[in-house]
Amino acid sequence: MYLQDKPLLMIKFLVKRLLLTVPTFIALMFVTFVAIRLVPGDPVEVRTGERGISAERLAYFRHELGLDQPVWKQFVDYVWQLLHGDFGTSLSTSEKVLTEFFTLFPATLELALAGMLFSIIIGIPAGIVAAVKRGSWFDHTLMGAAVTGFSMPIFWWGLLLIMLVSEGWGLTPVSGRIDMIKFYFEPVTGFMLIDSLLSDQKGAFLSALHHLVLPMIVLGTYPLAVIARMTRSSMLEVLSEDYVRTARAKGLSEFRVISLHALRNALIPVLTVVGLQVGSLLAGAVLTETIFSWPGVGKWLIESIARRDYPALQGGILLISSLVIIVNVLVDVLYGAINPRIRHAG
Amino acid sequence: MRAETSIRETVAPPTPLRAFWDSFSQNRGAVGGLLVLIGIVVLAIFAEFIAPYSSIEQFRAFSKLPPAWVEGGNWAFPLGTDALGRDILSRLIFGARISLFIGIAVMVVSVIAGVSLGLVAAFLGGFVDSLIMRVMDLILSIPSLVLAILVVSILGPSLPNTIVAVSVVYLPNYVRLVRASALGEFSKDYVIAAKVAGVGPLRLMFVTVLPNCLAPLIVQAALGVSNAILEAAALGFLGLGAQPPTPEWGSMLADSREFIRSNPWIVTLPGLAILISVVSINLFGDGLRDALDPKLRRS
Repeated sequence: MYLQDKPLLMIKFLVKRLLLTVPTFIALMFVTFVAIRLVPGDPVEVRTGERGISAERLAYFRHELGLDQPVWKQFVDYVWQLLHGDFGTSLSTSEKVLTEFFTLFPATLELALAGMLFSIIIGIPAGIVAAVKRGSWFDHTLMGAAVTGFSMPIFWWGLLLIMLVSEGWGLTPVSGRIDMIKFYFEPVTGFMLIDSLLSDQKGAFLSALHHLVLPMIVLGTYPLAVIARMTRSSMLEVLSEDYVRTARAKGLSEFRVISLHALRNALIPVLTVVGLQVGSLLAGAVLTETIFSWPGVGKWLIESIARRDYPALQGGILLISSLVIIVNVLVDVLYGAINPRIRHAG
Repeated sequence: MRAETSIRETVAPPTPLRAFWDSFSQNRGAVGGLLVLIGIVVLAIFAEFIAPYSSIEQFRAFSKLPPAWVEGGNWAFPLGTDALGRDILSRLIFGARISLFIGIAVMVVSVIAGVSLGLVAAFLGGFVDSLIMRVMDLILSIPSLVLAILVVSILGPSLPNTIVAVSVVYLPNYVRLVRASALGEFSKDYVIAAKVAGVGPLRLMFVTVLPNCLAPLIVQAALGVSNAILEAAALGFLGLGAQPPTPEWGSMLADSREFIRSNPWIVTLPGLAILISVVSINLFGDGLRDALDPKLRRS
């Protein structure tokens, strides 16, 4: 391939992938639209309570909510509203769902990024060492730990860590993002770690960090296990390739062979796995946030169910899934950028 | 003696089952997992005979007892009792039945649906194929637990609905797997030969092609059982799964959350039960994969 073609090809690839998501988005809107109509309980009755209302009032409300329109018209209106950034209004707080979501989302993002970072920083080096020292006690221990992490019911893992670290040793707080009695500041970035530094209040950053440690470990455990396993097996595969043997035959140091020649190629599949964890991180965030009372979108979603706040549930699911779709496209494109074979096959 | 056996084995080529077992039994983790799994299955099947009490009988005089070996424990209740005075050991044993049932039911439902959809997609191609695959993309784009929550909130929380919800979540894995391996098979000579011989489409799909896609499918199904158990326990923990007094492990954990400070073992034991069963199934599944799928063997 000629060098000057590269950017053009990348753009073509990106556009193609983005166009492929359009049917998925339409289907997603359709599913959330249908789902909310299948949920037991009439939306008008949910608003008016159990006492009931007169027939005219009912008709008025139905008209107000557009429920007297034919279903296809309702769907078109729904899509039209979504395209204009209107994701509905929460029944319990009367706030716009979009506003509520993006007020809470930074907390989830901070937690998810911390969990991801934790799993990458530990998982990749551990996987490499296990592959290089294949069959050693380290390898066996790590793989045993990985199967355990992989099988861990994370809601229990969270409770266990709270019992040990918070209740037993008194090292970390049990819930929330920061000590709210001691510290208060307006959110700037929405990331507690950054905001606490910006606030110039003594100890605020440490308090935020203390609150983050346990949720981060709990959320990062599953991806950590997956990444360590993947790195190990991908590294093992690469280490048996001819070019690694050539590099060794040239007399390169073992460190250079592993870090320069083997690692680069071994990390390609690991990157995809990391990208694919985004969905499972968000699913894990639902549980982690519930256990640690972390004020993010996962906890909000569960509370919306408990409150029968279906517009919030509908909007929340739509927004979370859209994020996952977009991130998956980005991962694909990034993958295409470092592995030309995919680009051509696509 | 030893030499004799090995000579006989080299003379007669091992049957596929024998070859499988030879490879499988070399993996100590897998064999260990299988043994534990058999133990759990036995507990689940014979729960009535093994469990000392019923899962819902309340011994009000003995509530929140610690396990017997801890100070204040009582050997009448080996693993202690919960807040309502129910024997935890008995509840865990009956819970094994529920969790295994959910895991296997989800696996069966999603395998049947997944194999059918995957084969149809691969066989018909074109519009049907795109339609099925786009729907699967959609399911995959919604985080698993969030999707399960959505399905449960539509259908209402109960044990059967948990099974439906978790099956939907894991359906795409099977569809994609079967479609991919069926597409690989369709271009092979034996399929063309079968077509030339006049084999009908259904027979071609299920009798000619499917058996050749089985190895990865079996592995996926084994790991699917453990995933389903975890997912169902998570739903139970959130109060969206099996409803009380069903002794489901996840909901047992949720019930005991408030005693985390005063009576930690009530929280610890159900989680340990989930972890042990899921680990044993995963070890078994890893062994299956190594033994059945030569491409991935010993990696």
